[in-house]
Order: sequence, then C-alpha cells, then structure tokens
Amino acid sequence: MKRIGVFVCHCGSNIANTVHCEKVAQVAKDFPGVVLSTDYKYMCSEPGQVMIQEAIREHNLDGYVVAACSPRMHEPTFRKCAARAGMNPYMVEQVNIREQCSWVHANKEKGTEKSIDLLRMGVAKVVKNEPLYSTTIPVTKRSLVIGGGIAGIQAALDIANAGYPVTLLDREHTIGGRMAQVDKTFPTLDCSACILTPKMVEAAQHPNIELMTYAEVEAVDGFVGNFDVTIRKKARYVDFDQCTGCGACTEKCPKKVPSEFEMELGMRKAIYTPFPQAVPNKPIIDAKHCRYLLDGKCGICKKVCPTGAVDYEQKDELIVERFGAIVVATGFEQFDISAYEEYGAGKIPDVITGLHLERLMNASGPTAGKIKRPSDGKVPEKIVFVKCVGSRDEAKGRPYCSKACCMYVAKHATLLKEKMPNSKSYIFYMDVRTPGKNYEEFYARTQNEYDAQYIRGRVSKIFQVGDKLIVRGEDSLLGRPVEIEADLVVLAAGMDPRGDAKDLARTLGISYDQHGWFTEAHPKLQPVETHTAGIYLAGACQGPKDIPDSVAQASAAAVKAAGLLSKPELTSEAMTALCDEAICSGCGLCQSICPYKSIEIKSINERYHGQMRQRRVSNVNQGLCQGCGACTVACPSGAMNLKGFTNDQILAEVDALCQR
Amino acid sequence: MNQITKEMRDLARELLASGEVKGLIGWTKGSRWYLTPPLFITRPEEAEQLYFDQFAVNNLTGLLLDYRYGDDKIALFVKGCDSRGIVRLLQDHQIKREKVLVIGVPCMGMSDKKAVTDPRQPVELPLLDKCLECRYPNPVIADRLIGGALVSGEPSEPKGLTASEAAKRGVGSKQADRFAQVKAIEAMSADEKYAFWQAQHEKCLRCYACRNICPACNCRECIFESDKKGWVNKSATPTDNAFFAVTRAMHVAGRCVECGECERVCPMDIPIMALNRKVIQDINELFGESDAGTDLDGKMPLGLFKNDDPEEFM
Repeated sequence: MKRIGVFVCHCGSNIANTVHCEKVAQVAKDFPGVVLSTDYKYMCSEPGQVMIQEAIREHNLDGYVVAACSPRMHEPTFRKCAARAGMNPYMVEQVNIREQCSWVHANKEKGTEKSIDLLRMGVAKVVKNEPLYSTTIPVTKRSLVIGGGIAGIQAALDIANAGYPVTLLDREHTIGGRMAQVDKTFPTLDCSACILTPKMVEAAQHPNIELMTYAEVEAVDGFVGNFDVTIRKKARYVDFDQCTGCGACTEKCPKKVPSEFEMELGMRKAIYTPFPQAVPNKPIIDAKHCRYLLDGKCGICKKVCPTGAVDYEQKDELIVERFGAIVVATGFEQFDISAYEEYGAGKIPDVITGLHLERLMNASGPTAGKIKRPSDGKVPEKIVFVKCVGSRDEAKGRPYCSKACCMYVAKHATLLKEKMPNSKSYIFYMDVRTPGKNYEEFYARTQNEYDAQYIRGRVSKIFQVGDKLIVRGEDSLLGRPVEIEADLVVLAAGMDPRGDAKDLARTLGISYDQHGWFTEAHPKLQPVETHTAGIYLAGACQGPKDIPDSVAQASAAAVKAAGLLSKPELTSEAMTALCDEAICSGCGLCQSICPYKSIEIKSINERYHGQMRQRRVSNVNQGLCQGCGACTVACPSGAMNLKGFTNDQILAEVDALCQR
Repeated sequence: MNQITKEMRDLARELLASGEVKGLIGWTKGSRWYLTPPLFITRPEEAEQLYFDQFAVNNLTGLLLDYRYGDDKIALFVKGCDSRGIVRLLQDHQIKREKVLVIGVPCMGMSDKKAVTDPRQPVELPLLDKCLECRYPNPVIADRLIGGALVSGEPSEPKGLTASEAAKRGVGSKQADRFAQVKAIEAMSADEKYAFWQAQHEKCLRCYACRNICPACNCRECIFESDKKGWVNKSATPTDNAFFAVTRAMHVAGRCVECGECERVCPMDIPIMALNRKVIQDINELFGESDAGTDLDGKMPLGLFKNDDPEEFM
C-alpha cells in the first residue's frame, strides 16, 4: 500500500467557518493508506508548504492529498511543493472543499460530512496515481501575426523588437486595416493616418518583419511551438519585384469600380492601390473586375507599364511555413445596417454609417474632406446621429455594446461643428458610455463647447420627404415624441465579428462565442490567450474595442508570444491520453473526434494464427495531446485512458463515495 | 426452388469456382420449415445448399469479424437491413473494403417464427416488427445484386423480385411507429420505468447473444469478458444486468444500424431495441436526423468534434 499524507487547509476562515477542519483531518487518519493527516490555517503559505515537504521526507510519503481550494487555484503550487521534496508532482491530488463545499453550504455539520466524503475520494484516487512525466518539444522561434490592422502591426512590431522574426499577414493587399479608413482619432483628435502610417512603414522596414499581404491562412497543423501553417498567396497579377509603384497603370486603367476603402462613396480602378499611403504601395489587379482577366480584351496596364511588371498569368501560390506562436488580429466588420428596415435598410443614400462619415471627412477621401451628402452633394446643416445601431439590440441578435460608438459619435459631432460652424448635431442615445482616459471630458466638451444636442431615446423611423430626412423618435427624458428634419443621418453602426471568423477559428482550433468573437482562455486572468496553447488574440477579433484597447491588447499578446518563443524548449502536458493497443480495435473514432488533431492511426505487426499480421491501432502524439479526454469517452472499446484520470482512478473515487 | 435461391446458387458457384472469393456466407434451409440459418461454404459444389426465403432473418455481417485479420476475400449476402451492418464494419475499419464482396438481395420481409404453434404444420406467419418498421428494405451498399435488387442509400420502397410480395406483407407499413415504444416508456413515471426495466433485467441470462450478433459490437475484447474488476461484473444479478444493458446501449450509441438482431436473438424477450431507439431519438434531437450505417463517407454525429458542439454542461 502506498503511504499517503493528508493536509486539510482552513483557508483562514474561508473553509473553517463551514467545515470542522480538525475533525476532517482526524477522520482521514483511518482512510486506507493514510499515514499522516493534519490541518493548518493556510496550506498554500510558505510555512504550510514547508510543513508538507517535511512530512514527505519524514513519513516517506508516496503521495499526498491536500483538501483546500479549487485545483484551478493552487494545483500548480502543491505540485511544485511535491517536486521540491523529491516527489513526482503528479502524485498529488487536490480536493476542493472551498468552492465546492464551504462557500456553497451554510450548515457546518453537513459541510464537514461532505468534506470527509470528498477527501475519502481523493485519497482513494491518489493511491492509484502513477508518476507522470512531461516530455520536451522544440520551439520554432518565429511568429505569425494574422491581420495587419493596428493590433496586428503593434503585435508584430513588439515581437520583432523582442528579437524574433515575425510574418505579418493580411488578406488585403495593404496593411493598415480599419484604422487607415478613420479620419481622426478620439479623444485627442490627431489624424489617424498621421499616427498609423509611421507604424505601417516601420513594420514594412523592420528587419525582423516579413510582410505577407494579399495572403490568407488556409490550414493550420501542428501544435504550440510548431504550427505548420498553409498560406495562400493570392495572385496579384503584378510582379512586385519589378513594379516601381509609378501608378501609370492605375491612371490608364479604363475600368472603374466602387472603392471598398472609400465605403463605395468613391471609385477606384481595376488595377489599384486602395489609398495613397498603402504599404506595400504597389498596385494589384482586381481579377473580378479586370477587363483583360474577364474577357481577354484590354491589356492597357501591361502596355503602359514601363517595367513589364504586369503578369496576367500569375496564379495563387500555396506555401507551408512553420511558426512557434500565432497572434490572431483579424479585427471586425462594421454592422450591416440593412438589418434596420425602419432606418431605410441602407437604401436611403443620406442615411450613412460612421465609417462613411469618416471617409467624407477625410482630406484624401472622395470629397477631399468637404462634408457633402451622398445624394446630391449638398452640404448638410442638420445632422442626426443614431447610436446603438447593431449594438445593445437583442432583436437584431447584437446584445453587446460595441464600445467605440459613443466616443466616435462625440468625435464626429465635434469635427462637424469645427468644419461647419453653422451645422447642428442631434444625437439619439440610450446611454453615453465613456469609460476611458479623457473620454468623459471629451464628451462634456462636445456638449458644452460644440453645441451637440444629446437626446435620450430610440429612433423609431427614418424616412425621406423631399430632400429632407424625417427622423422620428422619442425623448424619453421628456417623455414625448420628437421629430427632426435632418439633412444627413449617421447611424453609429456597431461592430460585428468578421463574417468568416468562425471558419478561421475552426482552422486554428480556437473557440468563439455565440456571435463569432474569439474566446479568450479566461475573461479576467487570461485575456489574450486562447484555449489552444501558442495562439493569442489581439484587438477587436476578441470583442469590440477602440484603438487604445486594441493596441494595449496587441502588446500584451506580443509579450505572451515572445515569452513562448524565448523558451529553449516547451514542456508538454503530462496528463495525456494513452491507447492500450491490446484493446484498441482501430476504428478511428478517437481520431475524428480529437480537437487537437493529436491522434493518428498506425499499423502494428502482430502474430495471429502463426502468421504476422498488420493491425490498425491509435497512436497519441504526446506533444500534441492536451489531455481533454474527448477520445476516452468516444472510444467504444475503452482502449483510451487519460493519464491522471484513468478509469481505475475514477472508479476508485466512485467506490470511495459509496463507502460512506 | 425460388428464383432468388437459384440466382444465389449460380452466383456463389461462379464466385467460388473462379476463385474470386475464398469463402461465402449465406443461408441454408434448416431442419424445420421455419428455420433458414446461416451457412458458410468454400467450395463451388456446396452452393447447392444455399437457400433464401422469409426465414433467412439472420444478419450475416457480424460473422465477418471472424475474418478481420485474414487475407481471404469473403462474399456474403445482405438484405437491406443487413447491409447497414457492412457500412458499420467498414466505418469502424474492422474489415477492408477489398476483402469483402457484398451481394445484395431483395427482401420480402421476414416472418416471425415466434408465432409458430405447431412445428410440424407450416402456416402463414406474421412479419417481424422490425420488418413492419423497415425503412431500408434495399441494400445501401453492394458489389453484386441478385433478384432484381437495387441499391439505395435513402429510405425507400421495397424493390426487386419480391417487391410486390413485400408490399403485400406490409414491409415498412409501420415506419411511423419506430419510436412508439420509446414514447410509451418515456410517458411512465420514474418508478414505473424502474419497475419496468428491473423486470426486464431480472430475466437477462447474460448469454451475450445480443452482443454476438451485433455488427457494432466489434471490440477486440469485450469489457464484460475482461478481467477488469470494478466497473463491470459478470454475475447475472438484476443490478449488474442493468449495468450491462445500459453499457451495451451506450457502447453502440450513434453506431447502431437498427437491424434489430439483438432483440430478435434474445432468448428472454428483453426489449433491447427500445433502449437503442431511445439513444437514436436523443441523438437525432441533439445533432439532427441521421441514420447510422447508410452512408459510408458520412460522419457519425458522436464521432466528430465541432467547435460549435453544444456545451451546456461547461
């Protein structure tokens, strides 16, 4: 029989108030295998740990059980404590008598009884524990950042500055993302491009950063420290080695299409760079609109190109590269206002969104910074803003707050007043949320110095009468309906996850919430990690964020990635699945159900009726396996076992519970 | 001799004589008029013993497990319901596709020999319940077809030489009642359910006939025969029998092909399919309607990880 120690923690009064800890320790002395049982005020404290280590040596313990808080809190503490005393760390079991007992019960007698039951189970389990060992896996000291918006750029720069090579990938053919479309930034009103473009250039010129634009992640294999990423480099039809970016092709291209960058308020050519400060600043051909690629007629760009860089024969290219860490910074999409029939469903030309207004305000935008409304180019005087369009609206499936809209509306109202002193902004709001440094002050200025009129209430309908827009709503503070004749209406459209975010999540093996925002490993304590080791989140792909928050999270993700890359090698999970080949029938259910792609079928040779035969069995890659246990329940034969949670151990616990 | 039997013998003779297969599993006429048990033959001249009629009820697919590590190619006959067992074995990688030659036969519906009153007096017998509820009377997979049989991976009407006979006998006429027994048991109170199942489990002899006939029961070593102490017990007590019954049902969860053989072979008339059907009903509700063993390339709902799998318990 193994020699087991039991240590019952009071956790100050957290446990001791509802559990007779001394009694629990006393009763545990009679459990099979227990050679020592004691209690202490704070088991996790230094004296508590010293006490455990001395007991391990003195009583020659094979394993111990600590009855304390949740293993999620202190399991690493008590495992390390065992290791310091020369015991295998997996010979420790932690029984949770705090979160699962003292905190949820009031009756001390019952609480004590339950603690004894839980402890009896823990002791029965630890008797069956086996020493487990981690292995080490090498780390590829290189990082991939998916998405070249401000979050991706910041993360890439920080990792690169820490000394590790980074590939910064963007599906568009320039980096810059949403921030490049924005005119000014709150709360300081500095020009967005002025602060963004230096970072774009820095990223492009950084010796540790490889820019990979117009490329998408196709597949991800491997695991933390060694992800094999298949990347599709989309055909640009322009040879960037030869292109000088002179712009002759763009000038001569006869095909005009609405510019996505300008929110379709302006036009671009079929061979184009989306905006003047694009990085890389070389054009690509939009194959969906290029006359030559569609009909084989035209070819003007090729004719005018002085360096012969136009190459209509270019094809998509698939490459596979290995990275140690991945930062996901794929950002957001603006909510599609067509869901709001009552606001014209996006069909009224002068009902625009926040991003449209950004482009109208921008000096390099379609109106060269003059505020002209899209329908007739008239300069608007009365402008109505409607907040929470696609945010905080259960009916539209968007219960969340998009966080940035309150501030960008205040910014818009301020800027409009500055540009057009005779204009007047009316802002319909549900609440004004300004939790950020200097945000509330900015909002106050918008009201006091820039004459913006805030009206608390929802807008029920927007419709055209002549060249005016009638905005009908309610002032809920006055408790009466309001109607405003506006020249321009700006819907503060909220943030949506990228339409294909879920596909990327599946490719990466990370999780997402019901809306499609990527899920962090812990909302408070692991806000940039995902449940998949080695993959980190930055920016709005994890949830609506403004620029300061995105940048902060990007730097945090970069630290995590750099921290991972700085390790000489990684320790793999010790509690992994193990296949009993004698029982395994090779059906492969475990392989299809494994979320980490860590199971492969291998062939073994076996003597069968006097002859050598090959037989299929499962093989768990111990480096990839994260010990989730999905395979152990899927296995029809019971051949899969999870080390540290074997069927035997769980049965021992069940038996112990039944013995009361 | 009926036409299907004739075609069976001709094809078997040809396959064995040409050496295309080393062995063949079919049915033969038994010692009584209501018995048509399985037959295994290896020589062309033995083909004369093959026979097919409305008593050839045995699903032969499970027998292939005896050859799973062999090199020989085996041919076998399958009715619609049996053929889903082939898909089961292929999906579970228990047999190699190239080592089995599947011959599809049309089915007129199998008679319930439990209705026999006088063993000496042949009479018209009613159909088995599983045939009344049948949704797949045509093979879902086959390399060869006899008797005008047609392959169909979808629920379909009986086809082939016996189509009219099958229709007359009412094959598939009670498809809608497939979950009737489940619903009836679900309607019971907890105590009634317990009493009902306890009464059933008290009868169980632990003969394992249900396991042995089942194409989904293809473990190398059955846990009920292993020397693992603790979880399972070999003794035939009501408690252990209940544990066996539930374990067996969960073991085939998502993999049961509804051939109904477990219930048919049970010497104690335990309603085993009620448990299987309950699991199937739950899987259909949770993951959408699907029929196990009808699509060789189809993914099994319980054998697949998706990021949007329901996680109510987390």
